[in-house]
Amino acid sequence: MMENDPATSSRPVEAPVPSSATGAARNKRYTLVQRVLREAGIGIALLLMILAFSTLAPHFTDESNITNILTQVTINLIMATGMTFVILVGGIDLSVGSVLAFSAMVGGLVLKTEGLPVPVAIILAVLSSVLVGMGCGFINGFIASFWNVPSFIVTLGMLNVARGAALEVTNARTLFEFPNEFNAFGTASVLGVPAIFLVALALVIVGWVILSRTVFGRMIYAIGNNEEAVRLSGHNTFYYKVAVFVISGLTVGIGAIIYMARLTIASPILGNGFELNAIAAVIIGGTSLSGGRGSLIGTFLGACLIGVLADGLILMGVGDFVRQMITGGVIILAVIVDTYRARFALRV
Amino acid sequence: MNSPLQRCCRVLALSGLALSVVSFGVNAQAQKKPVIGLVMKSLANEFFKDMEEGAVKHAAERGDLTLIPVGMHSETDIDTQINAVENFITKKVDAIVVAPADSRALVPPLARAIQAGIVVINIDVALDQAAKKQAGVDLAFVGPDNRAGAKMSGDVLAKTLGPGGKVVIIEGNPGADNAQQRKLGFDDAVKEGNLVLLDSRTAHWETEEANTVFSNMLTAHPDIQGVMAANDSMALGVVKAIDAAGKSGQIKVVGFDNIPAVQPLLKDGKMIATVDQFGSKMAANGMDYAMKALQGEKLQGWIKTPIKLVTAGGN
Repeated sequence: MMENDPATSSRPVEAPVPSSATGAARNKRYTLVQRVLREAGIGIALLLMILAFSTLAPHFTDESNITNILTQVTINLIMATGMTFVILVGGIDLSVGSVLAFSAMVGGLVLKTEGLPVPVAIILAVLSSVLVGMGCGFINGFIASFWNVPSFIVTLGMLNVARGAALEVTNARTLFEFPNEFNAFGTASVLGVPAIFLVALALVIVGWVILSRTVFGRMIYAIGNNEEAVRLSGHNTFYYKVAVFVISGLTVGIGAIIYMARLTIASPILGNGFELNAIAAVIIGGTSLSGGRGSLIGTFLGACLIGVLADGLILMGVGDFVRQMITGGVIILAVIVDTYRARFALRV
Repeated sequence: MNSPLQRCCRVLALSGLALSVVSFGVNAQAQKKPVIGLVMKSLANEFFKDMEEGAVKHAAERGDLTLIPVGMHSETDIDTQINAVENFITKKVDAIVVAPADSRALVPPLARAIQAGIVVINIDVALDQAAKKQAGVDLAFVGPDNRAGAKMSGDVLAKTLGPGGKVVIIEGNPGADNAQQRKLGFDDAVKEGNLVLLDSRTAHWETEEANTVFSNMLTAHPDIQGVMAANDSMALGVVKAIDAAGKSGQIKVVGFDNIPAVQPLLKDGKMIATVDQFGSKMAANGMDYAMKALQGEKLQGWIKTPIKLVTAGGN
């Protein structure tokens, strides 16, 4: 696992950390300064981008545009939060877009159940949507860990299963006319900040606390760094590897509810390609695809960077096709820069 | 409304049924009823799902033909369609009714079908003229005039706003024939109504993307007065963006397709017009024409199917 990590494999010979160091030992060697440097790279890039758009893109700094950006990054941010957990143990979850659609369809059906009082229907819809997400996540995690199959393949299968299920529950029909109380949440704001963004922010904070301040979180990093070492030291890695997929499913279920409230419909074809946006946010945020290195702060900044870029380019009047090219280019650039950043942080 | 569990049970039952249908297919041909293969686009799209269901119902009502519908998973899955056409040639069906996913790539396999003596009827999106000429085939197109439909929808917006009205267009998939035709129709309406076109962007037919793209357009051009969306799914996303910006009712929206989800919006006046091209009847129409051709009638050129303007506050 460590050999694949760009931080170690591309390190020059004179680097201070011996390549035989265990993951846990390596984590300890990161000083506070190094940590800050690690997150700062993406933060500086985001700041520069914001500064550039502030002068180049008309209306970029309008209050309404800032609200737009916050609304638009919300769903990706939520899904990228769960995805960060999965990628940190060295896995991947390709099924999130389809599971989002499946969760939304089930949640939407519950929400439209006749005869239920509105508050009860809303609570049940949220619960069922989240349970569907966690259920799909559990199946992903269980299969990948129990039979030791690459999560790439398992979740690719789930991508199709969940999409088919989403289409089947309503026979491809779009659900609409949800209760007004539910729809109102999609456009509600607290002190000018969209309420749905605050939900995403809360998830990021809770996730960050779990990852950086709990034993559970440290175990996730340790497994991503060297699963064998964790197992040999007497820990059951199976439990953690299933848990990260359940967490991913949980965030997807919440994302589905947010999506429905924002668009006031539930469509079985929604979420197409969302998995790639979420993965892009995590990777741009500096989390290593081979696991063990990265943070939710990085993911947060990564998701914001993607959102700001998309928004700013439209405001500048950049055409659709060029915009797509630029977005792809930035993802590639971010990964290249990240390899230098990681090397530099280790040398400090 | 069925519960998800019930539906899951139905899937299992249906897949069993599908197997038995395959084995009965041989019997059906023995009965001398003409066999028509229906090649559909993505059944994940409500529009095509309706179309397929309409066709199956129509076949049952007619009773004088056997219908084999084939759908695909995504709008751009051209391979699946080509395979379906080739399977139909092997099966020696009498006619193929096809809604092509690509107006050029489907021409060669369909030409092979015609050479094999199969009647081919093109529905929904017209096959490319040049490609047809190259393959040496001439076949009838039964379908709506997307350009005229989009112009009807756009005209309502032009009339409401008056000359000088500032509008934007939300386009469908770049490269899709119906998306291009609708864009042309909207352009016609803009020109004729002397509207000012501020921006035109794709949202790939999708609600979520239309919501995002239009929010940004509205920021860039706060003076937008009207929106032409190339389908109703995108119009839904646009209306939500207008609501979120607190401009409900100030910006007029027109769409295309008349899907169930926009009916409340038309009632509230959040959308002022859409166009119904009776998608559910399109495949059924195609089947009727296939039967006519099998009975010896010569079909050529573009057989236009009806389109109808649907406006807010009653038709």
